[in-house]
Amino acid sequence: MSELDRTQPPTSGSIRKFDFPDVERRTLSNGLDLRVCKLSRLPVVSTNLFFRAGEGRLVGSRAGLAVLTGDALEGGTRKRSGTELAEAMERIGARLGVSTGWEGTSVSMSCLADRLEEALGLLTEAVLEPAFPEEEVDRAREQQLAAIRQRAMDPSALASMEAGRRYFTAGIPYARPQDGTEESIGTVKRGLLSDFADACYRPLGGGLIVAGDLDPDEIETMANQRLESWTGAPPAAQEFRVDPATRERRVWVVHREGSLQSEVCVGHVGTDRATPDYFPLSVANMLFGGSFTSRLNLNLREKNGFTYGVRSRFGFRSRPGPFSVSTSVGTDVTAPAVREIVRELEQLVEGGPTDEEVAAARDYAAGVFGLQMETAGQIASRISQLVVYGLEDDYYHTYRDRVRAVTTDEVAAAARAHIRPHEVQVVVVGDADEIVAPLEALDLGPLEVARAS
Amino acid sequence: MSRLTIPVERHSLDNGLKIVLSQDRTVPVAAVNLWYGVGSRNEAEGKTGFAHLFEHMMFQGSAHVPKNKHFELIERAGGTLNASTWFDRTNYFETVPSHDLELALWLESDRMGWMVQAMDQEKLDNQRDVVKNEKRQRYDNQPYGDWDERLQALVYPQSHPYHHSVIGSMEDIDAATLDDVASFFQTFYVPNNAVITIAGDFDRDGALELLNRYFGEIEPGEPIPPLPGDPLLDPLIGETVREHVLANVPLPRVVMAFRIPPYSSDDFAVAEVSRGLLGMGRASRLYRRLVRERRVAKGVVTFAFPLLTGASMLLAWATGYPGASPEELEAALAEELEGLAEADAVEVERAIALIETDLVRALERASERADLLSMFELHFDDPDRLNRELHRLRSVTVDEIRAFAKERLGSDNRAVLTYEPKAPA
Repeated sequence: MSELDRTQPPTSGSIRKFDFPDVERRTLSNGLDLRVCKLSRLPVVSTNLFFRAGEGRLVGSRAGLAVLTGDALEGGTRKRSGTELAEAMERIGARLGVSTGWEGTSVSMSCLADRLEEALGLLTEAVLEPAFPEEEVDRAREQQLAAIRQRAMDPSALASMEAGRRYFTAGIPYARPQDGTEESIGTVKRGLLSDFADACYRPLGGGLIVAGDLDPDEIETMANQRLESWTGAPPAAQEFRVDPATRERRVWVVHREGSLQSEVCVGHVGTDRATPDYFPLSVANMLFGGSFTSRLNLNLREKNGFTYGVRSRFGFRSRPGPFSVSTSVGTDVTAPAVREIVRELEQLVEGGPTDEEVAAARDYAAGVFGLQMETAGQIASRISQLVVYGLEDDYYHTYRDRVRAVTTDEVAAAARAHIRPHEVQVVVVGDADEIVAPLEALDLGPLEVARAS
Repeated sequence: MSRLTIPVERHSLDNGLKIVLSQDRTVPVAAVNLWYGVGSRNEAEGKTGFAHLFEHMMFQGSAHVPKNKHFELIERAGGTLNASTWFDRTNYFETVPSHDLELALWLESDRMGWMVQAMDQEKLDNQRDVVKNEKRQRYDNQPYGDWDERLQALVYPQSHPYHHSVIGSMEDIDAATLDDVASFFQTFYVPNNAVITIAGDFDRDGALELLNRYFGEIEPGEPIPPLPGDPLLDPLIGETVREHVLANVPLPRVVMAFRIPPYSSDDFAVAEVSRGLLGMGRASRLYRRLVRERRVAKGVVTFAFPLLTGASMLLAWATGYPGASPEELEAALAEELEGLAEADAVEVERAIALIETDLVRALERASERADLLSMFELHFDDPDRLNRELHRLRSVTVDEIRAFAKERLGSDNRAVLTYEPKAPA
């Protein structure tokens, strides 16, 4: 055996080619978009039914109604009480997951493959025949109200809620919390939920995604049987324009009694999922604050020890979502940390990234993509994104090539186009008595202090 | 599913390093996973939180790997990595595209063999700050964030190694020195106290050869010293111990914990399935009764901690609605827990079905398979135990669950931690 040279990293072996698995696309008799991915790995199946009943279609006075309606699905159907529905699913090892976002509602379920037919029957019963019993609706509403109250004392939730309010113009959905407010939810009764579900729980524009150890023809037959009576489209959603609340850089301090740390969000309105800059901008974000070895994390954590971690993120939605840097930092280093974040933003936009950084971020993004194709759940949620955002069928098959084709110039241009250091809103939730003076001394812009309610 | 058939192959090196290989070439992903037999239970008085701080130091470079390089190289390869510290162990793991398996082995072997040479005061001070911020972010500045620290102190006596939390105390973290780092490394980070597992896509002979090359020349250490304090415990707490906390929390919450048999005991399966009956899924006892029917709780959470030393811990918490009385919430929670003594067979089947789906779904990922295999090797000398997990859980009977409820969930074995919202100033 030759002497081992430990001073250099070993060279890579030969790459094994591996593609995103094939997806069969069919249209059910009711117009629902069916996507099936056969995986013969373990005998498990992940299913996801998506329809366009999202919070993005609700103005402020109804904020949170889509979330509440989704959560109240577990209240039972015309055939079964809530507990009977849960028992029927859980007895076969399946669980219903409902999640409602800006774009729509997803009802998902994982089960062992030999239980799929039964489980799919229960999933469709829950969505197509919800009973919304009054007691269950009241309970779901009280739970949501309690969650809203909990959020008001959770520093990071408080910061991201305040950030939404400061980034976006007042009155549009993105400016408010996804699950609404005490005012918008407080008096909601079952009639509103069943009306919302009647109108918006409709197949057109949605999709059924199934991944796992299964036969696509059988799935199609099964789904057609279960869903043929489910027809129509949700009403057109009210359009809204997404604009920044202000173009002036400002600092917003939310005083939270007894804070031992400051929660920081720095950002502004970003861009939408359909942007032609999606790939270069994703690479820009990766090297700026999207990985452990990003500029922000190496500076704030590994060099300065200000934080346990810092991230930047573009929330790509059907309309422009937020671009935000977020972190929790020690109270005494709040101002230095904010100064470093703003400085890093300026340096990225003015100086651009290096070729080496871009190459590293590209390699990371392309490589990690391949790691996230192991499970039926991962594959199903990827395919769901195609439906939600209307991406091309071959999107994932060309994904890595498109990431690898991104150039340094494109990354620099995307950062310049979508990141505006002089327009950021700096939101800090912490002990105002300790942090206001040092933040003012940074002279970033007008500073306002509010008290956490 | 009748039984699991995860391939398991065991080896060991002359220096004592244990090896588990589990090949599955379906996707080109390889998971490397190391378990070191050291955790917060090995921390002496005045050194709480050190095992976790040390875990951070393991990412600060080693003799041939500069600071940040470990993350940089793995991310560049398109891999993911992390580590975690727990009561009984510390684990380190990378998942990489399979053609970069050797990179992960080079990095892990360099820090197992030659970490301490690369340490300096600046790195220690930096990671001390990072860890203190982690403690503030996850525990101290978080509503209810100190629950585990408080609960452990109630369930385990001062002399027991589980009396203190994994994150430790600020004072002890402040007091840590470079000498502590060196001696901890020499004592615990030795091949004879570690397991390495590779799961996923790799060539068997090639992998064994690489493991030999990279890890074979690392010197073994001394035998691992016995645990500090007194690991022996009465199986029951003996009474109801309680702590009432008036805090800046939004809603009242009652956390209840019970001593249960250690993870290594055959009886632990009964506790696991009991926990499923109580808290897994929306048809579980606590969700159905407290959240749905009686509407006294906004939410319920249950855990059965898999702990090795003396006794493990089952816990259940219920979060009440605004203005609710913590006493009434506690009484309702206690009543439903005790009600497990009337469990029926249908509930047992339901819980086992959910546990089974969760396990099979976890096994879809090479990283999860590797982690479980490392655990079974380190704690039980038996990685193939993974393939018998379903059998172990399915053999639990309703009579055992009922007996468990009577023996373990009563007022003579109960720690109660209550959070009550402070009135607004």
